[in-house]
Amino acid sequence: MDTATQTDTVTLTIDGKTVTVPKGTVVVDAAKTVDIEIPVFCYHEKLGPFGCCRMCLVEVEKMPKMTTACTLTVGEGMVVKTNTEKVEKAQKGVLEFTLLNHPLDCPVCDKGGECPLQDNTFKFGPPDTRMDYNRFNRDKATPLSPVITIDRERCIACQRCTRYSDIIEKDQALVMRNRGFQNRVSTFNDQPYDTRFSGNVIDICPVGALTNTDFRFTARSWDLTNSSTLCGHCACNCNMTLGARLNEMKRITTRPNDLVDDGWICDKARWGYDFTKSKNRIAQPRKQGQVVAIQDACSEVVVSLKKIVEAHGPNSVGFIGSGYGLNEDLYSYQKLFREHIGTNNIDHKTYVDTPGLPVTHFDLLDVETSDLVVLIASDPTEELPILDLRLKKAVERQGTEMIVLNDQQTLMDKYAALSVRYNIGSDGALLAGLNAVLQGQSAGSDLESATGVASSQLQLVAEKIKTAGKVCVIYNPAALTGSAIHTLKQCLATAGGLAETAVGAIPAAPVTNAMGAMDMGVLPDCYPGGVPLSNSDAIKAKWGDTAPLEKGWSALEMIEKARSGELKALVVYRSNPVVDFPGGRNVEEALGKLDLLVVHDIMETETAKLAQVVLPSNGPGFDEGTTTNIGGRVQLRTKGLTTDNPADWKIVSMIAKELGQETAPKDVHAITAEIAEKVGGYQEIKRSAIRKEGKNRAVVPSSNGATASEEIATGDGLILRIADVLFSHDKILDAESNLAHQFQPSTVHLHASDANGLGVQEGDEVSVSGNGHEVKAEVRISNRCNPGGAVLPKVSDEQDVMSLAEAGKAISRVTIKK
Amino acid sequence: MFAFTEASETRIEKILAKYPESRKVSALLPLLTLAQDQEGYITPEAMIEIGKRLDVSPAYVESVCTFYTMYYTKPVGKYVVKFCINISCHLNGCDNLMEYTARKLGIKEGETTPDKKFTLLKEECLAACCEAPVMQVNNKYHVNMTPEKVDQVLESCK
Ligand code: SF4
Ligand code: SF4
Ligand code: FES
Ligand code: FES
Repeated sequence: MDTATQTDTVTLTIDGKTVTVPKGTVVVDAAKTVDIEIPVFCYHEKLGPFGCCRMCLVEVEKMPKMTTACTLTVGEGMVVKTNTEKVEKAQKGVLEFTLLNHPLDCPVCDKGGECPLQDNTFKFGPPDTRMDYNRFNRDKATPLSPVITIDRERCIACQRCTRYSDIIEKDQALVMRNRGFQNRVSTFNDQPYDTRFSGNVIDICPVGALTNTDFRFTARSWDLTNSSTLCGHCACNCNMTLGARLNEMKRITTRPNDLVDDGWICDKARWGYDFTKSKNRIAQPRKQGQVVAIQDACSEVVVSLKKIVEAHGPNSVGFIGSGYGLNEDLYSYQKLFREHIGTNNIDHKTYVDTPGLPVTHFDLLDVETSDLVVLIASDPTEELPILDLRLKKAVERQGTEMIVLNDQQTLMDKYAALSVRYNIGSDGALLAGLNAVLQGQSAGSDLESATGVASSQLQLVAEKIKTAGKVCVIYNPAALTGSAIHTLKQCLATAGGLAETAVGAIPAAPVTNAMGAMDMGVLPDCYPGGVPLSNSDAIKAKWGDTAPLEKGWSALEMIEKARSGELKALVVYRSNPVVDFPGGRNVEEALGKLDLLVVHDIMETETAKLAQVVLPSNGPGFDEGTTTNIGGRVQLRTKGLTTDNPADWKIVSMIAKELGQETAPKDVHAITAEIAEKVGGYQEIKRSAIRKEGKNRAVVPSSNGATASEEIATGDGLILRIADVLFSHDKILDAESNLAHQFQPSTVHLHASDANGLGVQEGDEVSVSGNGHEVKAEVRISNRCNPGGAVLPKVSDEQDVMSLAEAGKAISRVTIKK
Repeated sequence: MFAFTEASETRIEKILAKYPESRKVSALLPLLTLAQDQEGYITPEAMIEIGKRLDVSPAYVESVCTFYTMYYTKPVGKYVVKFCINISCHLNGCDNLMEYTARKLGIKEGETTPDKKFTLLKEECLAACCEAPVMQVNNKYHVNMTPEKVDQVLESCK
């Protein structure tokens, strides 16, 4: 044994078995490694030792009394006994106490069948009770929030839920009130417990005290068909279990994967899957508003496309996909357009970004092991919730330091050692300054006037980066303006060259599979695997001599070309440009000019309404394939529900076939295999390799673009910043959603000085106008952004806030009137 | 609205000075006491205010506040009469005393007389078991209680 293992591990004996575990492990966990079960209630490995329920008593040689195995860290040579008569008696005693006031309503309790209290009682408990007094009665089933029901009679006061609220969520919203028999899990003043991560308490509650209101009484746990799948909302791709009965989604629960979600999901995962049964789904294919067979719809697409290509050439056709598709679906689509249409008019986003990174692509676990996290333009709380929990853990429990650079205040500022707030739209200038400072140069004399940030602050940031051992840069490319992403990548390259620091980055675009969409080449200027068009040899070798090499139009350009008449046909996949693209309603007018608009989506959208052909997409719950999360981890999303509609890739393949493709993929795995063969970085991604925890894809070559120098246009009005909101009232979370109570009113956040200048006050109803449109909003006065800016959270589709943004402009200005 | 008085503020400064900044939550009990001394009981607004000062959530303040029976979250009378109901006092007849007092004051346990003079509460072990049953009136203990002694004590409450 080498010295490292000698000092880092501890060997002990449990029930005669020799166990070697890392130092600091508690006895309960050490026992698990040799399949010895020590019963617990209050202990949860993510919450740490607490020791309040006494269920885990064990005997330890040389200790005079029994001790709680969940609070006892292993010691060298320790001898633990978990099955002596004394221990068994203690276990019975503890359970008898625990059950003293327990209502034992298992037959009508949702936890029945998966309840640690039931299980422990069966395995370790007394057969009977000696209690002949009446049990202490309390209110049954009262709402703890609109989505969680609490039955305080069943609570055994283990305090897992309250500790979760304190240690994991870090907002101490759920606490234990009163004491003794009277204690009750509550919120302040009995307000609803409606945080972004509240639902996890349902999964960790060891009894049926906390239950999912939506799931209550709809199925017994043993009647559910559970599938191990992934969340399809944000780009964390948390692991979750979808429980279905009679092909209907019943509930979503956690499926811990420490490499991704650390054991948690956010409430959007738990209660945001009503869309699987929504009446607003696109149930059947349509042609000119008429329901048709899928084959007819596909034929119609093919005939029209052929006609248009013949008349106007392949570049009169375009494809706008989105990061909501699976790798297999996106890969198939780009292949269809490149191989069978012959165009690079392919894109999936409205911001500038390039594949690959000039530094190591860090995974989510690296966040915790870094000395410094630099968070740029990212608001994890609203965009990538599980990253929010991971960052809090890193800062508060792992000793990581965090620097936040953003144009708006976020909840992460509270955990930052340093928060740098730059003017909205000045990210390019700020990052150029940072790059200069990292290179030992001056940040430039106009830095402060351009960005609102003193160069001394950037010096401090650079100093911290230079002196930290391991640095993890997390940035949201979708929140950067203009071509600031290129400057950011230059910064990364500079930081990567620093002698003393190990720098890695996580590109944190919020959409589910934004990473996969980049990797799969849903881009006008890159083939899959980050191969730029300039690399024609590589492209021809893989994709044949006819592979198009002319740069295609970006998504925003396609909209403009539709407006000008140069683009004649457009296929829109899982995207709603009319509401989500800058320009908003202006997009509608442009799309109206197309000869052919095909929309392939899950839900009815404003864009689908304009389409001549509408194709149903199955989406999360029904679909199967892989996604790549922000950490570059490729995981398998399996289906939990079935449908008669063909899979998305299948529809693409039907179209491809009619356009002349000879061999169609047999099933989705064949496409996964083709991706492994054809897409750089995905060589090792095989179904078997990713099934359990997923697997990081290898390096995708980085091809950075050149920074265009953008001038911050001066002009009247405030600079607009549209901010993402987790519970936005869109098509996925519709009016009937379980999360409707989380919807927010339309607000505009102003700096006090601007509000004064405009003569508006907190709560005033104002109209915000720009780009020829107007949005109603309520004024919030705060220092959410620097003077001169206006932050509008995108709270709903109806709010139509994207209409205020000018497409293709780095910044847009708005004016505010009472 | 809740606001600490100027006198309270001076006290708070002194109290906070005793603890390092990172441990200022230690001042929670003294601050609750101050708020109660000032208002007679602790209002939700006071909890919010104290939470803000100590960087903890109002829920946390409420949980601590309700753990201790000496803090009141509802208005109480001028005299708060408490009977210990724990084991020693129980064996020595505290139930009867409680019932006797309730009848005498014309209220139930947990209530306040209409003239706001008396509030009657039960209490867990007051740590004077050797002289059970024990009754506490505001900050004073009365031990080895009998109905006659209850009469006397209540009589002395003006
Ligand atoms: S509600 Fe559940 S998790 Fe919370 S203290 Fe009670 S038993 Fe424990
Ligand atoms: S954090 Fe993202 S992936 Fe995870 S559960 Fe929430 S929405 Fe789903
Ligand atoms: S599990 Fe050990 S005391 Fe609760
Ligand atoms: S039992 Fe009443 S004082 Fe201890």
